[in-house]
Amino acid sequence: MRVGRHVLVLERRPTRPAAHAVVTAVLAIALALAGSSVLFLSSEAGVFAAYRAIFGYAFVNPRGFVATVHRAIYLLLCTVAFVVPLRAGLWNIGLPGQVYAGALAAFAVPFALGAEAPPSVSSALVVALMAAAAAAAGAAVGGTVGLLRARFQVNEILVTMMLNSILFWLVANFIKEGGPFMSATAEGESFTLPVALRALLVLDVPLTAAVALAAAVLLDLFFARTAAGYRVRAFGENPAAARYAGVYPVRLTVLVFVVGGALAGLAGYHYFGAVPGLYKIPGNYGFYGDLAFYGIICALIARGSSLGAVPIALLFAGLSLGARFAQGALRLPFGVDYAMLGLLMMTFVGSHVLYHYRVAWRPAPLPVAPAPSPRWP
Amino acid sequence: MPDGAPAGEVVLEARGITKRFPGVLALDGVDLDVRAGEVQAILGQNGAGKTTLMNILFGLVHPDEGQLVLHGRPVVFRSPHDALAAGIGMVHQTRRLVAAHTVVENVILGHPRARGVLDLRQARRELEAYCARYGLAIDLGAKVWQLSEGEKQWVEILKALYGGARILILDEPTSALTPPEVKALLDVLRAMVAQQGLTVLLVTHKLPIVMAISHRVTVLRAGRVVARLPTAAATEAMLVQHMIGQEVAVPAADAPAAAGPPVLDVDHLAAYNDKNLWALRGVSFALHAGEILGVAGVTGNGQEELAQVLAGLRPAASGTVRLQGRDITAASPLERWRLGIGYIPAERTTVASIATFSLVENTAMNFHFDPAYVRRGLFDYAGLEALTARILATYRVQAPGPRVQAQHLSGGNLQKLILGRVLARAPRVLIAHLPTQGLDVEAAAFVRRKLLEARAGGAAVLLISEDLDEILSLCDRVAAMYEGRFVAILPREAASAEAVGAMMAGVRPEAVGLL
Repeated sequence: MRVGRHVLVLERRPTRPAAHAVVTAVLAIALALAGSSVLFLSSEAGVFAAYRAIFGYAFVNPRGFVATVHRAIYLLLCTVAFVVPLRAGLWNIGLPGQVYAGALAAFAVPFALGAEAPPSVSSALVVALMAAAAAAAGAAVGGTVGLLRARFQVNEILVTMMLNSILFWLVANFIKEGGPFMSATAEGESFTLPVALRALLVLDVPLTAAVALAAAVLLDLFFARTAAGYRVRAFGENPAAARYAGVYPVRLTVLVFVVGGALAGLAGYHYFGAVPGLYKIPGNYGFYGDLAFYGIICALIARGSSLGAVPIALLFAGLSLGARFAQGALRLPFGVDYAMLGLLMMTFVGSHVLYHYRVAWRPAPLPVAPAPSPRWP
Repeated sequence: MPDGAPAGEVVLEARGITKRFPGVLALDGVDLDVRAGEVQAILGQNGAGKTTLMNILFGLVHPDEGQLVLHGRPVVFRSPHDALAAGIGMVHQTRRLVAAHTVVENVILGHPRARGVLDLRQARRELEAYCARYGLAIDLGAKVWQLSEGEKQWVEILKALYGGARILILDEPTSALTPPEVKALLDVLRAMVAQQGLTVLLVTHKLPIVMAISHRVTVLRAGRVVARLPTAAATEAMLVQHMIGQEVAVPAADAPAAAGPPVLDVDHLAAYNDKNLWALRGVSFALHAGEILGVAGVTGNGQEELAQVLAGLRPAASGTVRLQGRDITAASPLERWRLGIGYIPAERTTVASIATFSLVENTAMNFHFDPAYVRRGLFDYAGLEALTARILATYRVQAPGPRVQAQHLSGGNLQKLILGRVLARAPRVLIAHLPTQGLDVEAAAFVRRKLLEARAGGAAVLLISEDLDEILSLCDRVAAMYEGRFVAILPREAASAEAVGAMMAGVRPEAVGLL
């Protein structure tokens, strides 16, 4: 845009201070919220009432807030499951498959021991076994992807996406009417966990929260301070240079996918086996699988920082729940929750431009003199 | 040598150009004037600011201060598109062509005439006429991937000229060319300048090229113009003095060292290249402590694969490699680092360093497994930073500090860091592949001195180079590689330029009576 002798230009920022990342993120949120006001214009309740309903439910209402936290833990586990391979330059796009595998393995433990907890085994041990089985199953699925990638150069994005489908239908096979995990009422969902096998709650929040938060804190430290984390980053930035420096590419690729898969498996255990009110694999488990993709978005917005993803996961969890609540309470149009999350995603992506570039007024260029016509040929 | 500067009018001027990159002042108030129909050489060491200045003239980089003046009018080039419209073309040091397309298709890509319906036939006719006029033998219908480096460069020059360039910027045009190709390039450029009134800005650090073709020469040092003079009034010694600000002694090995014990034994080593064709066909040699064994050869005769197999980055198909008697043929790169084999690959920016990592993290590439810098899995970053700072000081790396990213270093400074980092491990065996390629006089001399110091310190050095002078001045023994084999290994006294040159062409020296 040209005004007088000056022109508005977009230019690359020479430096990018950390505070700047926060400012652009906040700006992106504000812009998304302003943009989604359009969605509420048609409702009788008015724009501000809609926002009050959304944020009130998500972050103030005690029940709503607990649900937000449960969902945020899930998103955070999915985020870290994506971040670990991402730092090695690998894309765990199809992590919902690992989530499903985790859920199935968790429910296989009480199933194998007899659906009712046998008195001979401590219930705390069974709960721990469930979590461990979920992590192991996710790790096995992830490890397969890593091995295919490292040994045969099979694209990890394709493999994980295809495994998604396989595991999605495997879950369906287990919980459908007649499937081994079918519920007593045969509603196309799994059996409900007996009370004794429900994870310990602290302030209504299961212990998986500690795992998610610890992973978020430790992963950033791992990548910043340890030699192993350095090797993963080096491989992610330049695989040829990492090989030259003595990194074992096959080992490293398998390892990051095993860790990522284990964390995704834990996410599956968390939502289906540890969150109050569910304690089963519901018929609409595919919805939770789709939700896992928001973990990927959180990781990308936080630019690979697991700690930076915590507030973003909380925001996405709150908005998705709050908007769904407001939709019912204020009779908002169907799908406002997805529309809001979609807008938020777009403004976050847009904010990357502002993070890397700045808008500035510069003296306008004078028109370029036409070249003397070349003597050609 | 051409006559003095033609008295053409000033067509392009740069006035007081200043450009800062994070932590580096690349250009500091540079003035430049370019006259119609002249060849002006821009001379300077790595990092002197030559390429930055040219990128500004071509609209790729925007100056922080200063002004460009074209035909007496101030202009701002927002992008290369503006520069091209103003008749300025640039041929970069690295090729920017579509390998799968033909020469004509590449030339016409981006040309105003290439909008809508392509008339490749007409373009081809015009190009043919043009090539014939200047004696350029290029198959215009050939795909670019089939061409040699020299031919690819011609395609880029043709592209710039066909796009209407009257002022042609050539950035290190001879760096990838063989001597006959260099001569052909200079001949045709001379003809174009004389017959067509083309103006050429030639960026280089090769003095013979400057002396052979330019009318005027501008010397840059550390972002400033330190000299501008007619080439006729210049001597090579004078220009070197301007470039580096002091005399450089050419390092050479002293008397051949008393051969130490063999450290590395290579026996009938064979390996494939990336296309699964034989690259090494049975190479055998012993490398002794305290010697430099030079491997001469024309690119692509198996030198790169030899270096990679010795570093553990490429599997050996057969044969053995022993380090002090221990079979390491199948050892991983990490084991080899631990056992004391140091490797300096030719690919400075893509293999030997990580552009987005800090210099400290780049130093860590050779220390992430070293108990001295890793305790219980945690990096001793303070120790690594101190080590990096020591390397920067000892190896005179020009960098704002250890925490700056490697991508902000010029090629020579990056190479000094890599060399310093590898030598800091005090390797028993050092494999150096093209360690001075693309470096300026001073940096190359520095690297060579350090190789000699390593030799004096008892290291066994394998120097793979395409610079015959370098090999003859540094090495105790000289091997020449031809089609995956060592033709012969000559002691320094017997290794004349003629003998090694014949060996590089696959002729055994005794066969032509040179021994």
